[in-house]
Amino acid sequence: MRIGLEIHVQLPTRSKMFCSCPTTSAESPNTHVCPTCLGMPGSRPVLNRRALELGLTIAKMLGCSIPDTTWFSRKTYFYPDLCKHFQITQYDTPIGEKGVYYLGKKPIRITRVHLEEDPGKTKRVGDQSSLVDYNRSGIPLVEIVTEPDMSTPAEAREFLSSLIADIRHAIGLQECDERSIRCDCNISVKEERCEVKNVTGLKNCERALMYEAVRQTKVLKAGGRVERETRRFDEERKVTLPARKKELEADYGYIGEPDLGVYHIGKMAEGIKVRESPQNMIRRLAQEYGIETATARQLVSTSVPLAEFFETLAEETDVPTAVTWTAGVISANWKSYDRSEESDRRMVSAVKRLFAGEITDTECSIILKAVMTGTDPEEAGRSSEDLDAMIGSFLDANPSIVEDYRKNEKAANRIIGHVMKETGGAHPSSDIVAAAKRILESRL
Amino acid sequence: MTSLASVNGRYRMFRSFIESIDEDAPFHFSAKDNLTSSAFETCAGSRVLEGYRPAFDAAPISRLSDIGGQLLGKTNMDEFGFGTFSANSAYGIPLNPFDTERACGGSSGGAACAAAVLDGHVALGVSTGGSISCPASFCGVFGITPTYGRVSRYGLIDYANSLDKPGILSARAADLSRYLPVISGRDPRDPTSCMQPDLVLTGRKLRSVAVPETALEGLSRDVESAFRTAIGTLEGMGVEVETVDMPTLRYAMPAYYILATSEASTNLARYGGMRYGPQDGDLALRFDDYFTDFRSRYFGDEAKRRILLGTFTRMVGFRDRYYTKALQVREVVINDYRRVLDDHDAVLAPTMPFVAPRFDDISRMSALDSYKADYLTVPANLAGMPHLSVPCGYDGGGMPIGMQLVADHWCEDVLLSAALDWEKGFDVRRPEVME
Repeated sequence: MRIGLEIHVQLPTRSKMFCSCPTTSAESPNTHVCPTCLGMPGSRPVLNRRALELGLTIAKMLGCSIPDTTWFSRKTYFYPDLCKHFQITQYDTPIGEKGVYYLGKKPIRITRVHLEEDPGKTKRVGDQSSLVDYNRSGIPLVEIVTEPDMSTPAEAREFLSSLIADIRHAIGLQECDERSIRCDCNISVKEERCEVKNVTGLKNCERALMYEAVRQTKVLKAGGRVERETRRFDEERKVTLPARKKELEADYGYIGEPDLGVYHIGKMAEGIKVRESPQNMIRRLAQEYGIETATARQLVSTSVPLAEFFETLAEETDVPTAVTWTAGVISANWKSYDRSEESDRRMVSAVKRLFAGEITDTECSIILKAVMTGTDPEEAGRSSEDLDAMIGSFLDANPSIVEDYRKNEKAANRIIGHVMKETGGAHPSSDIVAAAKRILESRL
Repeated sequence: MTSLASVNGRYRMFRSFIESIDEDAPFHFSAKDNLTSSAFETCAGSRVLEGYRPAFDAAPISRLSDIGGQLLGKTNMDEFGFGTFSANSAYGIPLNPFDTERACGGSSGGAACAAAVLDGHVALGVSTGGSISCPASFCGVFGITPTYGRVSRYGLIDYANSLDKPGILSARAADLSRYLPVISGRDPRDPTSCMQPDLVLTGRKLRSVAVPETALEGLSRDVESAFRTAIGTLEGMGVEVETVDMPTLRYAMPAYYILATSEASTNLARYGGMRYGPQDGDLALRFDDYFTDFRSRYFGDEAKRRILLGTFTRMVGFRDRYYTKALQVREVVINDYRRVLDDHDAVLAPTMPFVAPRFDDISRMSALDSYKADYLTVPANLAGMPHLSVPCGYDGGGMPIGMQLVADHWCEDVLLSAALDWEKGFDVRRPEVME
């Protein structure tokens, strides 16, 4: 089975792609509009350079080759939500081509990345009529087209969710409505492929692909032939249906957009630094430091800066020490840690002293916690000593836990439960977990 | 000043006009009806825009208003600029002030008519393939079409965006030098206007002109003899005249029509009867049938022809053969002009091959005949080069004849001073205005 996707993602610019209307959600329909995004005769587009920058950032993140110059084109088709009856998009010169995205170890090839404007929205009112809202008209979109490199609907969904997470990270996209991701899904079980157009959201993509996979398999099993066609996904009934014939015959008659010039993006792209995506960082940490992928993932998914802190520690001490401490106490206190350069420095220095044998594990742990919670080391030490003492005596009384822990890490839960009960929540559970694990490890 | 209503009753230059003229205004002007104006309905000569009152003024209109000019009205034109005689209009067809049984030319016919008839009038026109020069020639006035990108197209209802150029028509050469700098200049609302060097008028004199050999082919006898006389006059003024070979000019016409109609067919796509034009369609139809019905009813024949042509030339399988090739031809034509303009200040030819035709003759012309009539004005427009039409003679019946000077990109300066000098040496006639 071969699956390829065309993914549309809205870019988080403050104003629209070709006018200064806001992109924020509007209180009522047709309020975030102007002559340009309504396509009024005599209005003209002026390119929002931020959209170009964000698009280039994504193209670079996907390892695309970026041309020196790019321009826009008109894609003509008649639909009520498209105010000019042509969409400004890119045809001959996409901002990126021939990239690759790694889903775990599997490369998914990226055919092209281009920019275009979003049309408005039609909304059905009763059986007889529809209304059009142009608030969305002119919002910048990036379209990412993949090669048919995915082999199951589940993999396609995994790819989408991982890609979207990376894009969010690269361009600072806020958590957005799942439905703002729109896909055209191409799928072939054998030779001939079908395209399911305009599927909204990750869940629906997987459903539409799954339905198509089953449908095409059935057709082939019955000795039939899969027709090459465009289909649409009915969200209510969760089935795909053939699109209308007219839509199949679409010839968009692309020509250059004469109101916008040629943009020299080669230099612009050079100046753009792409933040490493979480997925790539996991791969790199595992490779570079020889740690388990699961550990790398745990660090990165807790927080990218935490993973970066791990790298600092690994440099200053060694990899096992860095893993133990970042995955342990530091990770446990990371969420509440009010970070500063000074406190980072103090933490690094504590671990370095431990590494040099100048302080003990317990002392190091006390210092780290004190720095991260901003408490007095004395007091943190005392409460931490209380905690350590309590766990220590509990283990002395129940030595089997250490044995159990060897086989199953869950054995630590007994300690945690005990301490929670005894102290009535005086210690944050993250502290208890870290302390329990530390002491268990020391007794193995 | 004469009453606009009575003048318009006779010549039909206006689509709409104001009722009271402010006699204290420093000057009065009109705008072709494809320039948006919040004060008037703006329809670009088409029924698909009937009743459309724009929310904003076109850049050239607001610039003239800003210096105190009073906008008298909007002038009639061929639908969206599609024509050579202003006869393809859904509204009034302007009548030639030298003979009302003849056309004013097009597509800025109403503008040329107003410039010829009204005293001290400045008419804003727009040229895509010759729509300022042609009517200027037929109505015996001066017309300047600046370099593409010199005047902001903000508020211009598009015919072909890569070719459209707002400009000025007037009976007095001095008005061109006075008002072109006002409407010129960068405008962030039209990115294509932001590449221009400043327009500086230094009074650079016209010293040498090149006349393409082909410019003398296919001319009516009156035009040919008036043009030869004009060359003599120019030489008398100390201008060197040389005949040159410009072999690529003949490719300009097909390339122009391919690019212009390709772009036009996309520009006109938006008129589907949903937001502009008469709202009398059958709402029970599916949306695409509704669009088709509206477009069939309210576009004129010439608009439909150009939509079909332009859609064809950008279709898969034909685009490379037509649209893409036409883009290449445009570069070839530009280079041919540049080669000649390295050694000359301007390229000179008659503006139109004949004087303003009678309406009954026009009705017998095929679409192709009228396209061909533009062969002298199209090349400079395709190349985006500034050009000027000046009156240069009159035929036996007193109908004006014009000639056209083409300068290199951004060299309007030499054209404007040539207009002033020519006006001193040539007796420009004004029509006898009847009310």
